[in-house]
Amino acid sequence: MDTDTPNLSVQGISLSFGGTQALLDVSLDAQQREILAIIGPNGAGKTSLLNCLNGFYRPSTGRSIFEGVDLTALPPYRIAQLGIARTFQNIALYTGLSTLDNLMAARNIHMRAGFLKCLLYWGAAHREDIAHRARVEEIIDFLEIQHIRKAIVGSLPYGLRKRVELGRALALEPRLLLLDEPMTGMNQEEKADMARFILDIHELQGCTVLLIEHDMGLVMDIADKIVVLDFGVKIAEGPPEEIRRDPAVIKAYLGQTA
Amino acid sequence: MIDADTLPKSLRAACRIYGEDRTAMRQKDMGVWRSFTWKESHEQVRTLCLGLLGSGFKRGETSCIIGDNDPQYFWAQLGIQAAGGAAVGIFTDSTPPEIEFVVQHADARIVFAKDQEQVDKLLELKPRIPAVRRVVYWDGKGLWNYDDPWLAAYDDVQAQGRQLGEQQPDLYDRTVDAGKGDDLAIFCYTSGTTGEPKGAMITHANLIAGCELTTKVDPRMEGDEYLSFLPPAWITENVLGLTMHLRTGMLVNFPEAPETVQENLREITPHAQLFSARLWESLVSLVQVKMTETTFLNRQLYRLFMPVGYRVAGLRYEEHKPIGLAWRILNALGELAVFRPLRDKLGMTRIRSAYSSGAAQSPEVIRFFRAIGVNIKQLYGSTEAQTHTLHIGTDVRFETVGVPLPGMNVRIAEDGEILVSGPSVFKGYHKNPGATQSAFYVDGQGERWFRTGDAGLLEKDGHLIYLDRLKEMITLSGGESYSPQFIEGQLKFSPYIRDVMSVGGEDRPFVSALINIDFENVGRWAERRGLAYTTFVDLSQKPEVYELIRQDVERVNRNLPEKARVRYFVLLHKEFDPDEAELTRTRKLRRRTLEDHYREILEALYTGRREVRVSATVRYRDGREGQITTTVRVEGLGAERLSA
Repeated sequence: MDTDTPNLSVQGISLSFGGTQALLDVSLDAQQREILAIIGPNGAGKTSLLNCLNGFYRPSTGRSIFEGVDLTALPPYRIAQLGIARTFQNIALYTGLSTLDNLMAARNIHMRAGFLKCLLYWGAAHREDIAHRARVEEIIDFLEIQHIRKAIVGSLPYGLRKRVELGRALALEPRLLLLDEPMTGMNQEEKADMARFILDIHELQGCTVLLIEHDMGLVMDIADKIVVLDFGVKIAEGPPEEIRRDPAVIKAYLGQTA
Repeated sequence: MIDADTLPKSLRAACRIYGEDRTAMRQKDMGVWRSFTWKESHEQVRTLCLGLLGSGFKRGETSCIIGDNDPQYFWAQLGIQAAGGAAVGIFTDSTPPEIEFVVQHADARIVFAKDQEQVDKLLELKPRIPAVRRVVYWDGKGLWNYDDPWLAAYDDVQAQGRQLGEQQPDLYDRTVDAGKGDDLAIFCYTSGTTGEPKGAMITHANLIAGCELTTKVDPRMEGDEYLSFLPPAWITENVLGLTMHLRTGMLVNFPEAPETVQENLREITPHAQLFSARLWESLVSLVQVKMTETTFLNRQLYRLFMPVGYRVAGLRYEEHKPIGLAWRILNALGELAVFRPLRDKLGMTRIRSAYSSGAAQSPEVIRFFRAIGVNIKQLYGSTEAQTHTLHIGTDVRFETVGVPLPGMNVRIAEDGEILVSGPSVFKGYHKNPGATQSAFYVDGQGERWFRTGDAGLLEKDGHLIYLDRLKEMITLSGGESYSPQFIEGQLKFSPYIRDVMSVGGEDRPFVSALINIDFENVGRWAERRGLAYTTFVDLSQKPEVYELIRQDVERVNRNLPEKARVRYFVLLHKEFDPDEAELTRTRKLRRRTLEDHYREILEALYTGRREVRVSATVRYRDGREGQITTTVRVEGLGAERLSA
């Protein structure tokens, strides 16, 4: 692993909403092909950090660099084009469209044919559509969602919607995948499936994964490195075994001990 | 019809006839149906067979396959058989210990495992199954980083085979030619309810005979479509799927994933399909649920035309009466508005052969499908002897499992056991001479009969009535046996009967029945006849209602031997209730609790009293308890009725 130049580098990010300090001087590095988990109590600033990374929020100070490009001033769609995809805590899909259409919509970013060509749907535009559909079908096969290919996303159960959302992120062919609580509200079996998908994606596509998750057991199992946030401040960083024993982490999670 | 004595020879012959132009199989992959011609299919089998030979597989050896319905499964099976081996299917949901048992017991040398899930199970078992030389997988997803040399990819085995084929161009044909009809084709492990599973050894001749006998009464046309989704480790999929495919040219389609079967059925619209009784039932509930969710107009059309469909189907199939012009016109309208669209949704617009097996199919389900234009028939068989009996054409009787398949002989032993003989009866159980010996009865003429372990009755018109497993039969104090489940099941076919418990056996010399009327249906019947009633208790004790139910009991009695008939019955003053632990939550009888709760009535039945004063504790929905007291009448049948 190339440890000299990190794939993603967050440098001293601070973010405040009025008087509330959401993030304070947070720095972290993620290496190429690393699974980095961000944990912390509710309101610790985990989701805010992801929002800064993909351009939803603009940090007041600090910057984030992905593959040498400064993300701080870029709008979200530019960041997506750089190869950063994410899923959301509350699922943000087109609920009125089918699974297939949701995934195809994500391919838009890779489409070359212009409006007129698409309107004619002939020659290059047609071939391109087929190629994108083939890529989407690979993802459908990979995530084992063939049976809901044509189902309207709004009618699907929660666990499957989460899977479709992950599929949409994959359709962008990301090099950095931001996952915001991909396993909340799932039962043990669904969680295990999701963990398997994340590991397979990581292994197969070689992308870097930034993961927010509350299930400690799972995080300890799949993460290479863990960053702990508490009240917008990074209080610990390290491999799972170290984090497990870190007194500051135990304190943040269990409250002040006597 | 292809004429050859083994399955690989049949494939070779079919390939010569259909060759490059005709499609043999289709599988939905990446959202599109992908076709394989007969030539492609044969080439897959040829290279795989050579690959197996190249890795040291010998004639007479066995190989296990664990996987879903995929072309690769069928090719693996045929490749093993072409190499002179027997294929042993293992269910995909088997646990590692179950797999270990079969792999060991069948002496498998090579195991085919579909994907990571199955490969992981085998890797876990690796130290305990040293005889297995190789595990071959065909879906490499998730296996990228597995580097155990024990594992081999399907394609790699085929590539080796292709090389060997170039060196020895006639090796494949010679190996296939060496096969004989009497060679073992498959082992089917039966999940023994007691003891370890037994491996039924089935020859090529068995499979071919089973298929040919079936096509005599249920023919397949070239170009017929079939969707393969019954577990391929089952005998049924082997005979009606793979063997039928090779012998008749029927096109086999494979679903995209186990979850997409319903959708794929609609896309394929098969001509022939066999579902379990349970699946037919769930299709009915599926339609009913969808009808509550559909548009107002659709729902009204459904309500309007379903009774027409029921009436016309009743006239056609049950009363065998001519159908009047008015009914025909209405039915034709129903066909346009409801029946055809429904069949379309279910993928049954072309279905010609629709069979149900695995359990007795309820008349409600059969009537429903007949109303929308699908004539479901029942089929009864076993792993060891394949199809024993089936309904043929329109000769469908609810209470029977049909007539013996022409070419098969069915008889009833003295103890009531169903015995079967014919060309599809298996060879015996693998490495289990004890079980093999006790599975057969050899009669005076030296004919070998398979003991099914089932109890049944053979009607004069040739129809077989399936009663129950022999060991579930109860012996009356006089020595005759009867099946409580059968009597209860048959009585419940009546729309007026909701639940039944039949009693008899031990110190009871005859059979009687405690019956719960179906309050809704009997109530409606009473209203139609202008019969006034107040409560459930009142309705259940009306003489007219007793008369109504008596007709049903007599109908069932007609199909039973003298001693096993219901002699007395009682219409209970209250329904069996899961809240009082009389039924399980899935509405199965709790016999012991029921015997206890209705002790007074049971005593009266066997001491010759005609009326019983009963009181019962009723628990209301709000938790209060109350007492009801009433008199319940005992009704006799036949001779008892006259003396009463």
